[in-house]
Amino acid sequence: MTREEFLIEMLDVLQREDELTFDMELQDLDEWDSLAVMATMAFLDKQFGVKTTLRDYEIMKTVEDIAAKAGL
Amino acid sequence: MSISTFRHVRIAGIKTSLPEHYINIDDELEYFAGSTKKLARAKKMMGYGRRYIADENTTVTDLAVDAAQKLMTEMGLSADEIELLIFVNQKPDYPEPSDACIAHGVLHLKKSCAALNLNLGCSGYVHGLWTAHAMISSGAVRNCLLLAGDLCGRTTDQTNRKLAPVFGDSASATFLVRSDEDRQASFVLGCDGSSWDRIIHPVGGTRIPLDEETVNLVFKDASGNKWTPQQGMMKGEDVFNFTMAVAPALIKETVHAAGWTVDDVDLFAIHQANKQIVENIIEKAGIPADKSPADVFSKYANHSTNSVLTVLCDQPADAVLRKIIFSTFGIGLSWAGAALDVSGMYNGGFSTYMPPTDKLSRADRLAHWAKHFKGE
Repeated sequence: MTREEFLIEMLDVLQREDELTFDMELQDLDEWDSLAVMATMAFLDKQFGVKTTLRDYEIMKTVEDIAAKAGL
Repeated sequence: MSISTFRHVRIAGIKTSLPEHYINIDDELEYFAGSTKKLARAKKMMGYGRRYIADENTTVTDLAVDAAQKLMTEMGLSADEIELLIFVNQKPDYPEPSDACIAHGVLHLKKSCAALNLNLGCSGYVHGLWTAHAMISSGAVRNCLLLAGDLCGRTTDQTNRKLAPVFGDSASATFLVRSDEDRQASFVLGCDGSSWDRIIHPVGGTRIPLDEETVNLVFKDASGNKWTPQQGMMKGEDVFNFTMAVAPALIKETVHAAGWTVDDVDLFAIHQANKQIVENIIEKAGIPADKSPADVFSKYANHSTNSVLTVLCDQPADAVLRKIIFSTFGIGLSWAGAALDVSGMYNGGFSTYMPPTDKLSRADRLAHWAKHFKGE
């Protein structure tokens, strides 16, 4: 998966219609709620075999941080 | 993993009883800050829909007995024929005696019919099936009435939005009999007891009794969800990771234990934790989505112990089913899978429990126990 494809997938994961960029702060996204965290956990697990915990989401601040977790 | 195979046992019939009352997520806009967009997003992501909730005067035994009475009538089964009653649930009518004994009495089962409870939640129905198969297969009994259900909907504060939109209530009756046919049933079960505190109802047992000190406790999380001692609690993200690690592998192992391939299976009945979890399991296990319903959750909600059976009860009456897989996982943390041949099984589907109009109130019941104690 390329970084561009990752952004498109993340729009679906978050169920977000507006633009999404790597430098965006997660806390600034309307859609960044507990549903989005669970959906992101499932996405990282299924697509990249990466297991995450709530602690990881306290540390990750931006979309870029999620991409880094995915190894992109 | 405990892997076992039995022969000469079959499920003769099933039926689920639902409470009359239900809540539709569309009527709960207030919890989505009044935003229809947020509500639509939650419905799409989690599958929130309709959830059946028992009223305060209805217990899991009421629902299970109702399902059993209707199943017995529809199958022409008399109370005298039943040799074993197993009841699987976690939210009993009374701390003691077990609900199995109460149901035994209400159903007028014969005194030589043994009755016992299994205390398990989401993985409990399959643990009950496994026990029933073992008891019939051993020759100890010729048949078993398996009752299963819980009241996770009624017992959750509806303002606790972590749990409330997920849970509903129901109970079922399943009748299993000895069969002359060489009918195979394979089971894969396990437990990770080191995670016993991940889903827990911490107050009300003997460790922390419900008393003056605890009865009015209230904790709130960062989102304002309220926990009271009358409720359970769950570490959602840990349970999610557990599920993703265990459930897809369990499906594959259960199919393998039966000597089947994925193509042989007519229906994968997966515990309806929520739509997101079920869809992720289907994808990770690599099983066909058209044989693995994920929308049963949206129709009834997660019914804990009875959730996996709601998938089978929801099948059309004319559906031709032979080989099915049950996959369950949850509190314990524990898991159980079954590979069964259900050809010829009577599917009684769902029915609605109508409480009797002359049902005793809570005050009447307390007065009864006061007299009982005083010997009046």
